[in-house]
Amino acid sequence: MISIQRQLTREMLVTFLVLLSGVMAALYFAARDELIEQFDDALRAKVLAISSLTSNDGSRIQVDVSDHFFRSFSRADAEDYFEIWTMTGEAVVRSDSLAGADLPRPDRPGRPRRVRLPNGHNGRALLLKYSPSQEIGEHSGNETKPQLLLVVASDSEALAEALTELLSIGAVSGVLLAGAMLWVIPRVLKRGMQPLAQLGEQAAGIDANSLTTRFPVSGLAAELQPIVSRLNELLARLEVSFERERRFSADLAHELRTPLAELRSLAECSIKWPESREAGADQEVLAVAMQMQTIVTNLLMLARAEQQQATGPLVPVDLRLLVEDAWQSYCTRAEERGLKVRWELAPAIIPADAGLLRSIVGNLFENAADYAPVGGDVLVRLEQSEAGVILRVANRAEGLEPADVAKLFDRFWRKEEARTGGRHFGLGLPLARMFAQAMGWTLTATMDEQRQLEFTLTGPQTAEQA
Amino acid sequence: MRVLVVEDSARLQRSLGTALRKSGYAVDLAGDGEEGLWLAESHEYDVIILDIMLPKRDGLSVLTTLREHGKTTHVLLLTARDTVPDRVKGLRAGADDYLIKPFDLEELLARVQSLCRRAYGSKQAVIKVSDMEIDTLGRRVKRGRYPIDLTAREYLLLEYLARRRGQVVTRAEIEEHIYDGQVDPMSNVVDSAICSVRKKLAVAGDEPLIHTRRGLGYALDQAVEAPAT
Repeated sequence: MISIQRQLTREMLVTFLVLLSGVMAALYFAARDELIEQFDDALRAKVLAISSLTSNDGSRIQVDVSDHFFRSFSRADAEDYFEIWTMTGEAVVRSDSLAGADLPRPDRPGRPRRVRLPNGHNGRALLLKYSPSQEIGEHSGNETKPQLLLVVASDSEALAEALTELLSIGAVSGVLLAGAMLWVIPRVLKRGMQPLAQLGEQAAGIDANSLTTRFPVSGLAAELQPIVSRLNELLARLEVSFERERRFSADLAHELRTPLAELRSLAECSIKWPESREAGADQEVLAVAMQMQTIVTNLLMLARAEQQQATGPLVPVDLRLLVEDAWQSYCTRAEERGLKVRWELAPAIIPADAGLLRSIVGNLFENAADYAPVGGDVLVRLEQSEAGVILRVANRAEGLEPADVAKLFDRFWRKEEARTGGRHFGLGLPLARMFAQAMGWTLTATMDEQRQLEFTLTGPQTAEQA
Repeated sequence: MRVLVVEDSARLQRSLGTALRKSGYAVDLAGDGEEGLWLAESHEYDVIILDIMLPKRDGLSVLTTLREHGKTTHVLLLTARDTVPDRVKGLRAGADDYLIKPFDLEELLARVQSLCRRAYGSKQAVIKVSDMEIDTLGRRVKRGRYPIDLTAREYLLLEYLARRRGQVVTRAEIEEHIYDGQVDPMSNVVDSAICSVRKKLAVAGDEPLIHTRRGLGYALDQAVEAPAT
């Protein structure tokens, strides 16, 4: 598994080590050049001093030594060396430190060169070609000045030691710094990644029972805010979906428990006391099974409608014909109860899913046929308006209070008296509304002071209007 | 023992009525909360089986009203609501037991029996009076070594008297607890049943156990005094 923290740690460490090595090397070489430059400057100063102290009295070349200045050229200290040659290669003067030996002579003057000193040490030497000053009064002015070769050398072992020491300090500092970074970088990164880790922990704590949880967005790093916002949106969608499923399961379980209890106790009684089995027991069992089947079918349709999976293709439907046809299933019941139906149907052809529309209208008719007072009126009006096509189904509803109207579309809501009938389960109207919404229609209910309950189904404009 | 069943499902009412009656209980049935409350307040039931979702008045409201009116009858809530908060709500409203639909009929009968025992402050399954033993779980009666064959109603009568051992139990109390609303209150079913039980007990032992307190009622106990009959 790729770990951002590990990858960042590795990359940062490699980058840091490369940079550190570069900086250390640059520092070392700069310091070395500077030290050598200073060493060479000192060498030049010595060359200049010795050349200016060289005098020629015509017979002899001599260097006017000062004890203080020449201490480093003495035999005892032996840090610096010089030797003067004539142009013919004859050594005329050499420092005590040479103890009679010869200095190696660089090829060209100008820049100090590395040489091997007579004592075996490494050193740097500078060659100068010059004419010593003449003793005043001893030589005529037009006499040519003899040319001499001066080589001054200094022992560079101390310089090498200083450079080695510098290198050691740099290397140790580099190793210490690298170690420190190795310790610091993962911790800094871990601290930096803390909000991400916290987010992970919070996310791990979320399960189906805690979908109401939301990640706090305020106070979060700017980089994490869009991620957290998307996560919260996802949680909200999941919550709605889970809640719908949970409600469906709970409603289903609740509504099926009573018929199941009826079935079970019927069976248990028949088994335990066979003589108590009533003649119509099988019809009872069948009725309970049919009741459960209706509940399950309606609930599944409702769940599918909620997930917007219910609609088929919308095709032009003759709504007037559909309304008249749908009534056929309920006219017998209406006649039994002496209901008088008033029809006011305008022609209307509208794009719709005929199956869903028939189910909606059927539900409205079933309610009217079952709940309108015996001998009462039912008004069915189909009209067209600016807003679209409107179907109204109205009847008096003695058993309902105006406050009940708001609950009519709640799943499993039934007025108490209606609950025990076994034909209505409080699913028809929620289903009808869900179907209407699935097609982009609306279904509403109102009740006036005379307890006239009116359902209004509003659809889009008819094909002619459009 | 007299049980009231308040349940709006007619099928469940019939099954419960059959099962309880076959188990020897006197059973009254109510289909809605108002009727259930009226029956519960006007009779002395040993146990009330109460549905929660009822027409007219819900079961919890019936229960709360009963408790407010000082009725301590044991109540078993029988409901399709199965969540823990629902159970807690039911028990807090004063229910003694809670059973979820669909239920096992045997379990329901056992719980009703257990509530009946609690109604008389006893947890004992076997009641002993002199040489008579009543096994309330198996609903069997034995005197000495001999089993006594009783009808369900006779058994209930004997168990009721035994649970109130040593106390004088009036005819009205016996009618209230052993017979349901289907029995004519003017009939002498109680005297007939007592007579029948006495005869069956006498077959297995000489010592009379059911004593008549003239003008008061009956008492079941060992013969510490000369029987009044």
